[in-house]
Amino acid sequence: MNPQEDEQLPALDLRLTQENLEDLYEHAPCGYCSCLPDGTLVKLNQTLLGWLGYTREELVASQCLQQLLTVGGRLHYETHCAPLLLLVNQVREISYTLRRKDGSTLPVLMNAVLLRDSDGQPLVVRVTLFDITERRKYEQELIRAKGQAEERREQLARANEQLTLQNGQLTRINAELDSFVYTASHDLRQPIDNMVGLFAELQHTATFHDPEASSMMSMFEGALQQILSTIAGLTEVVQQQRQLEQVPLEVVELQSFAEEIIRSLQPQAAELEATFSLDFSTVPSLRMARPSLHSMLYNLLSNALKYAQPGRKPHIKVNTALQEGMALLRVHDNGRGIDLERHGRELFQLFRRFHPEVVGLGMGLYLVNRLVHQAGGRIEVESIVGQGTTFCIYLPV
Amino acid sequence: MNVLKRNNVTISGAGKQAMVFVHGFGCDQRMWRLVTPAFQESHQVVLLDLVGAGQSDLQAYDPERYNSLAAHADDILAVLRELGLYGAIFVGHSVGCIIGVLAAIKEPARFEKLVLVAPSPRYINDDKYTGGFEPADIEELLEAMDNNYLGWSGSITPVIMGNPDRPELTDELNQSFCSSDPTIARHFARVTFLSDNRADLPHLHTPTLILQCAQDIIAPLAVGYYMHQQIPNSELLVLDESGHCPHLSAPQATIGAIYHFLGLVPTPAV
Repeated sequence: MNPQEDEQLPALDLRLTQENLEDLYEHAPCGYCSCLPDGTLVKLNQTLLGWLGYTREELVASQCLQQLLTVGGRLHYETHCAPLLLLVNQVREISYTLRRKDGSTLPVLMNAVLLRDSDGQPLVVRVTLFDITERRKYEQELIRAKGQAEERREQLARANEQLTLQNGQLTRINAELDSFVYTASHDLRQPIDNMVGLFAELQHTATFHDPEASSMMSMFEGALQQILSTIAGLTEVVQQQRQLEQVPLEVVELQSFAEEIIRSLQPQAAELEATFSLDFSTVPSLRMARPSLHSMLYNLLSNALKYAQPGRKPHIKVNTALQEGMALLRVHDNGRGIDLERHGRELFQLFRRFHPEVVGLGMGLYLVNRLVHQAGGRIEVESIVGQGTTFCIYLPV
Repeated sequence: MNVLKRNNVTISGAGKQAMVFVHGFGCDQRMWRLVTPAFQESHQVVLLDLVGAGQSDLQAYDPERYNSLAAHADDILAVLRELGLYGAIFVGHSVGCIIGVLAAIKEPARFEKLVLVAPSPRYINDDKYTGGFEPADIEELLEAMDNNYLGWSGSITPVIMGNPDRPELTDELNQSFCSSDPTIARHFARVTFLSDNRADLPHLHTPTLILQCAQDIIAPLAVGYYMHQQIPNSELLVLDESGHCPHLSAPQATIGAIYHFLGLVPTPAV
């Protein structure tokens, strides 16, 4: 080192370089002790004695390190630390609790090394102990939180199990309901058909003197027709569902597909002078069961015509988009709209009707919703009363 | 299932008669490394890890099955069956002793002699029985384990345990020496320290050596006397040693006692 560099060093307080080693040992900010290989204490520093509340004479040569620990810690020391020291000559960061002379406890972290003599025989164990009172509190919190998380996890697993069970039950009940509806509509069909026949016969043969009779007859006929179409609708819902389970998926080109549906709706559309604009440029085709897609689109388009705002020519827009990794099929109309705040929850329920002035059965949207769910998708509605409605069908790509 | 792999069985030695070493709570087969060299000439040395310890198959540790020491005894018997061993010398430490006792009662023909190092059939005090501990002490041990596993659970993985040949892992290995999956260790601690196998002892008829340390808080001297009194064909040897692991702290004395019991002549090399 040249004198110049020497001069650049800041002046040291010489008292620091003359640190008294004995004093450093005795009053270090950690506990020191040395033991025989069996744990018998031979030397402890003042810091440790201060923590424990014992005098040196009470411990040296008569007590061993393990006896300063709680019984649980002692068990751990004998089964873990003692063999580990003999096997690899050291242990690190072992968490123990010291028992003071007055019975109170002090959490510590222990490091220890085993020194051997020239023959390799164990000679002495040097131990350092660090006071971790605050840290232990924090660790206890962690352990407690971990226990709680574990408990929550178990609760969740149980709840999940319960839900799966209930889900299975609901699926079964659903299937049973379907089969009930199918059977009921089938069983009702026969007597209703009989009634239609009998009524026709009655109209031919019977004469009524009451002047009201003829209007009552036509009302009766109307009611019969309504029952017939309700039953037909019910049968369709269930049958469609059953058939769809076997229909294979295919790629459906949307432009020609939609045009064909619109053609089939031409009588109503022409009467209302409806216009359509189609845009399938983003997603030109969908991979789906053709009858299922047909039913969805047919129902939505025919609804758009059926619930047109009186005095306004229907304009219906159909387009596709990609959103959140799903294909979005959107049907937008400028019709009467639905009060979603009032009816939103019931919109897709069977036999629910929101425009009593328009003829309908309340089955179209129920069917659409079922088909969308069956295809692994979901349906959303936006509507403003008097302005129009948009149905958004999200389907897996 | 490959039981030899499950229990991480290692076999060495030039002798004919098998000597099966089973470790106790808190460690694994590496605990025997100061003792086994003395038997390489005279015996076939069979070492194993109890399921849940060391490099055994941790996946095989089903807490329900291992809810009693009998399951571990069945594992030992499965290993002996797999190796076609009869008339073996069994050497157990701590809870490993009771596991050996249960195995020898079940299939006596597989064992010629038993050496039990620091055994205890029951750790908790009872009416007229001194096991050394109160139930609260065992709870305290579990708490001490919890406090220590806080830092370990992240770093102790079977991957580290499974790669003893990779030198860069040596440091971690030293740390992981004698430690295992915390959940398993906790469960095994419970099974070990809450078990009561006193009633099994009189059913053991295999010649047995009980090696007890004079000062051992885990298995106090009174427990050694009790074992000796209850096992019909047993002898008790008290080593003037402290601690629970004489095979580590006093390997020569331990080897000498086993030599004497087996009628072996010590060679000058030992």
